[in-house]
Amino acid sequence: MRNLIDFLVKYSTAMLFMLLVLLSCILLFTGNTYQQSVYLTSANAFAGSIFEVGQSVTGYFNLRNINQDLQQRNASLENEVLNLKNEIAYLKTIVPLDSATEARIPSARFDFVMATVINNSTHRPRNFFTINRGSADGIMPGMGVVDQNGIVGIVNVTGTKSARIISVLNETQRFSVKVKGSNYVGSLSWKEGNPAIAYVEELPRHVKYNVGDTIVTSGYSTTFPEGIPVGFVMGQVHTTDDNFYTLKVHLAADFSQLSTVRVIRDEFKAEMDSLNLFDQRTEASKNK
Amino acid sequence: MPQSLARYASLLIILLLIQILICNHIILFGVAMPIIFIYFIMRLPMGLNVKWVLLLSFISGLVIDIFSDTPGVNALSCTIIAILRRPIFKLYTGGDEIFSNVIPSISSLGGVMYAKYVISLTFIYCLLGFSLDYFTLAHLSRMLVKILCSTVLSSALIMGIDGLIWNKHK
Repeated sequence: MRNLIDFLVKYSTAMLFMLLVLLSCILLFTGNTYQQSVYLTSANAFAGSIFEVGQSVTGYFNLRNINQDLQQRNASLENEVLNLKNEIAYLKTIVPLDSATEARIPSARFDFVMATVINNSTHRPRNFFTINRGSADGIMPGMGVVDQNGIVGIVNVTGTKSARIISVLNETQRFSVKVKGSNYVGSLSWKEGNPAIAYVEELPRHVKYNVGDTIVTSGYSTTFPEGIPVGFVMGQVHTTDDNFYTLKVHLAADFSQLSTVRVIRDEFKAEMDSLNLFDQRTEASKNK
Repeated sequence: MPQSLARYASLLIILLLIQILICNHIILFGVAMPIIFIYFIMRLPMGLNVKWVLLLSFISGLVIDIFSDTPGVNALSCTIIAILRRPIFKLYTGGDEIFSNVIPSISSLGGVMYAKYVISLTFIYCLLGFSLDYFTLAHLSRMLVKILCSTVLSSALIMGIDGLIWNKHK
């Protein structure tokens, strides 16, 4: 026993070193992006409050550019509203609306929560950013996040008042996208280096595209509605695969100056998830 | 002693805040990232028990990790430089007895020796930090450029901070 204590005292520094290295390695290697405790991410309450203080100062930077983007987006949306109004007015002259048809109009499926980006990074291989809304505001992991220009990420970890978002600029995250106007889906991925460039992979060869075409979300998930801008085609990248090609894409969102973002809440998500779960269960019981 | 304890605590908190709120968002020319909070680890007295150095370094690394969403990367790098601190210091001072209890700074070591000490530790830190962060050899050349540029920038800043503190106390 005495020997053991002597041994522990003699090598206590080495032991402490090993323990700390072990702890760091556990953090490093079990730090799976999807199963992380809130306390070990920037979504925890303490980090949130510190970032809020920083944001209250830096939040004023880049406002001129952001304002310009918003004006542009506003103009295009207003245009769209006017066109749609005209269309509806014209259609109403053909098919008069009564209460029975009005009841059949589907209610809005998506709802938005406004949030401010309080911490952001773009220069790591796996980037995240933090927003000042959390589970108390109805934000849950898996929700999509967009800004005025296009998609920016997916909610990953939520604290009560802040949440960590996996940025589009994260090598481990892929998004289901398509060239606007076609129905073939590819997957958007980003490679470390330039925060403005990403790649759309696995597009079938016969999909037609032009340089400058818009890439939009596919809508094949409950994360993003269909048709949200992602980026613009810059050209094709040479690949070894004959059946698929890869497009180089200029991302629509400017990640170096993210400010206000919207988190998308899908009102059908619970329903669709329970359906999926039901499918899985019936599948499992069949296999038994 | 309590006075120097308070001084070290405030130094740590200020360095961590600057790192989290300012330096983490700066990347010069897309390659050079300023890492200044390790100045705290370098500044600890050489006579301090290694266990304390290890613990303090690990904790400050962990705080940076939590705030920048890089679990384990900075904690591990800090722990490694904490254990290598004394051997590297001895390497440059030649194990001289007069340096055994010194607080490393420009005033106590002189510019050249202090620069060697700072650059070596910063380089080890950047080497570990960036390779753990990338964890792949796919972007090797980019990673090496980042390591070198960040080492140069961070060591320059750390020497600058030390110069400022020294001037104030003179």
